[in-house]
Amino acid sequence: MPTKMIEVKNLQKKFKNNVVLKEITEHVDQGQVICVIGPSGAGKSTFLRCLNALEQPSSGQVLFEGQNLVGLDDKQLDQIRQKMGMVFQGFNLFPSMTVLKNIMIAPIKVKKTSAEDAKQTAMKLLAKVGLANKANQYPDQLSGGQKQRVAIARALAMDPAVMLFDEPTSALDPEMVEEVLKVMRDLADSGMTMVVVTHEMGFAKEVADQIWFMADGYIQETGQPDDFFDHPTSPRAQEFLKKILK
Amino acid sequence: MKHLKQLFMLFILCCSLVIPSTALAATNASSSSSSSSAVSSSSSNQAATDDSLQKIKQKGTLVVGMSADYPPYEFTTKKNGKTEYVGFEVDLAKQFAKDLGVKLVIKNMDFDSLLVALETGKIDTIISGMNVTNERKKSVDFSNTYYSGNSYFLINKADHDRFKKATDFKGKTVGAQNGTLQSTMIDKSMPGVKNKGLAKLSNLVIGLQSHKVDAVLMDEATAKAYAANNSNLVTFNSKLPSTAGDIAMAFPKGDKSLEAAANKTIKQVNDEDLINKQWIPQASKYMKSYKKQNTVLSYWRYFAKGVEYTLIITIVSVICGFILGTLFALMRLSKNKLLHSLAVCYIEFLRGTPMIVQIMFVYFGIGAVIQSMPALVAGIIAVSLNSGAYVAEIIRSGIQSIPVGQTEAARSLGMSKQTTFQEVIMPQALKNIWPALGNELITLLKDSSLVSVIGVSELMYQTQLVQSATYKGVLPLFITMLIYFVLTFTLSRILLHFERKMKHAH
Ligand SMILES: Nc1ncnc2c1ncn2[C@@H]1O[C@H](COP(=O)(O)OP(=O)(O)OP(=O)(O)O)[C@@H](O)[C@H]1O
Ligand SMILES: [Mg+2]
Repeated sequence: MPTKMIEVKNLQKKFKNNVVLKEITEHVDQGQVICVIGPSGAGKSTFLRCLNALEQPSSGQVLFEGQNLVGLDDKQLDQIRQKMGMVFQGFNLFPSMTVLKNIMIAPIKVKKTSAEDAKQTAMKLLAKVGLANKANQYPDQLSGGQKQRVAIARALAMDPAVMLFDEPTSALDPEMVEEVLKVMRDLADSGMTMVVVTHEMGFAKEVADQIWFMADGYIQETGQPDDFFDHPTSPRAQEFLKKILK
Repeated sequence: MKHLKQLFMLFILCCSLVIPSTALAATNASSSSSSSSAVSSSSSNQAATDDSLQKIKQKGTLVVGMSADYPPYEFTTKKNGKTEYVGFEVDLAKQFAKDLGVKLVIKNMDFDSLLVALETGKIDTIISGMNVTNERKKSVDFSNTYYSGNSYFLINKADHDRFKKATDFKGKTVGAQNGTLQSTMIDKSMPGVKNKGLAKLSNLVIGLQSHKVDAVLMDEATAKAYAANNSNLVTFNSKLPSTAGDIAMAFPKGDKSLEAAANKTIKQVNDEDLINKQWIPQASKYMKSYKKQNTVLSYWRYFAKGVEYTLIITIVSVICGFILGTLFALMRLSKNKLLHSLAVCYIEFLRGTPMIVQIMFVYFGIGAVIQSMPALVAGIIAVSLNSGAYVAEIIRSGIQSIPVGQTEAARSLGMSKQTTFQEVIMPQALKNIWPALGNELITLLKDSSLVSVIGVSELMYQTQLVQSATYKGVLPLFITMLIYFVLTFTLSRILLHFERKMKHAH
């Protein structure tokens, strides 16, 4: 039996009176790649942010490697977040630091890695995302696709057990989408556990082990990509796919 | 909102607790003295029951407050490049300290600050040409008289024919130093005359020379000294009623044993007529001998010392202000309601009150609780507190200008709140607010001149010394203006250099 990396039990999240996540119970196994899809405003980002406690759930549980994140203090959360990399739609690179420093800062400041080791790791990761020659540039000298690849390298530098992606390609010009997806595909092939919120249906179909379809604050349907895209069972999913495949 | 109101009330309460407690200390002292006052005039040491004399002897110093721009009473001259206080009251103070067997310390301050300083224990006695009045007797005790003088008008020589007696000034403007007997006399005995009051006598004389006022009313000795030192000025007796001013030393209410000791010294001085026979002639000599080599530039050491203190105040206050500002910015941004409201109160209150009032409040108010606080420290505290409030707002805007995505990215990498702030938020915020911080620094350097009111020898204060020592008003001011400009201009260039450097590093 595969070990459960993340478990979500009866998760609910509201902002004031707006119930965004109504009742979610799901789990992610080690090594699994999950693609979360669904219409805008469904609560996908909110769900993803609950997984690493950037948002505090209103009720229910989120377990990471068996430990409940709800109710932990800041210090304990800092510990757990080290093992959960996150990549944002807007990159959120640190503009005052070089590419290299962006990647090195967290290992040095959080894990107390030596500057030398951190640099070595950073250079290795930059090579992996194809940007070794950009090490000493600043973020605003990079294209969107390059920025997002640096952001992925930055998250990987902490050697996380799971990577969370929130629409990593949505802010990119079309011609740059592929270079980022390639990096993510490689990462999936290397066995990384991944939860990816995306509108890239091709990528989801090809890379995901499971599709989670979200709408109206629920996960309406889960399934193998082939099953889901060919025979969606819930009316909301059928409607959604009809719209985007048109 | 409710919290804010409560906090504000609390603050008011705290303030009102501090103020009466100092007043209370004063009334305590006076009530304890009432039993001894009946015998104090006998000038006998044994009759006094208070320990004021003993206290002075124990600490080994006598701190005398005076307003040293008042030749020939007290003024400053240079001896071998060093500032020295001279004048017949300085000689009297020396004699008094000598009779007590203690060291003399002179505190030079504005005349109208002297009484507050005495009441708050900053000084032990006032020897500063202070006239005995019933009003002053309510708050201080006076020794026996050591000098009486008439009040004289100082006027421009050109006006000699127009002004011959007090009634010639109807409809004109006559100046007098704030808080002096002469100022009251203008109001009471010269109807139809506009009273122009300033803190510094030297500034009034400048005003006279530039025809801002038609005459300055002052005591005989001072008026004669000015006339003797400036061929464009003449003086004549005002012959106003109650014009004879009895001058005496002032003591805190109830310091009877010290007062008795003073009376002993005064009796001896009066018996030998030391003031008229020795000390005033000597003071006049100082005034004359300095008139010759008395160019403004020969006082460059004064300016140098002023610059030194101005820089000390600025640098220390900038550092403290920055720390305070960061602290209060974080408090204001904090989710904790109490911390937030505290910061709001602090920032709004300090930005909503004049800095000059804050400086005097710290020196006289807080200084009453912590007696030994030097004026320089009080000045730095006040300027730092003030700057902290402005810097807090600058830093807050800087922090708020950083997108939340930066914090989220840092936190999701496992960085703690503090690391996030130090490594990610603050460096970016600093870059954004650098020009605003630079402005604040330059403002602070200029505003440090306000500290001169409590007698810290920074540039502005030193300028006033030079003015009164040289009898020149405009040139020292012009030099000071140039010095300030050179300082601020250099500073802004340095700041610009760093600003460019930060941009290039991008
Ligand atoms: N911090 C917040 N405060 C209040 N409401 C919020 C907050 N964050 C999200 N919401 C609301 O929650 C709902 C779901 O938002 P969420 O961003 O999770 O949707 P999404 O599925 O990611 O949509 P998209 O595809 O547009 O990114 C929206 O109605 C949004 O207005
Ligand atoms: Mg979203």
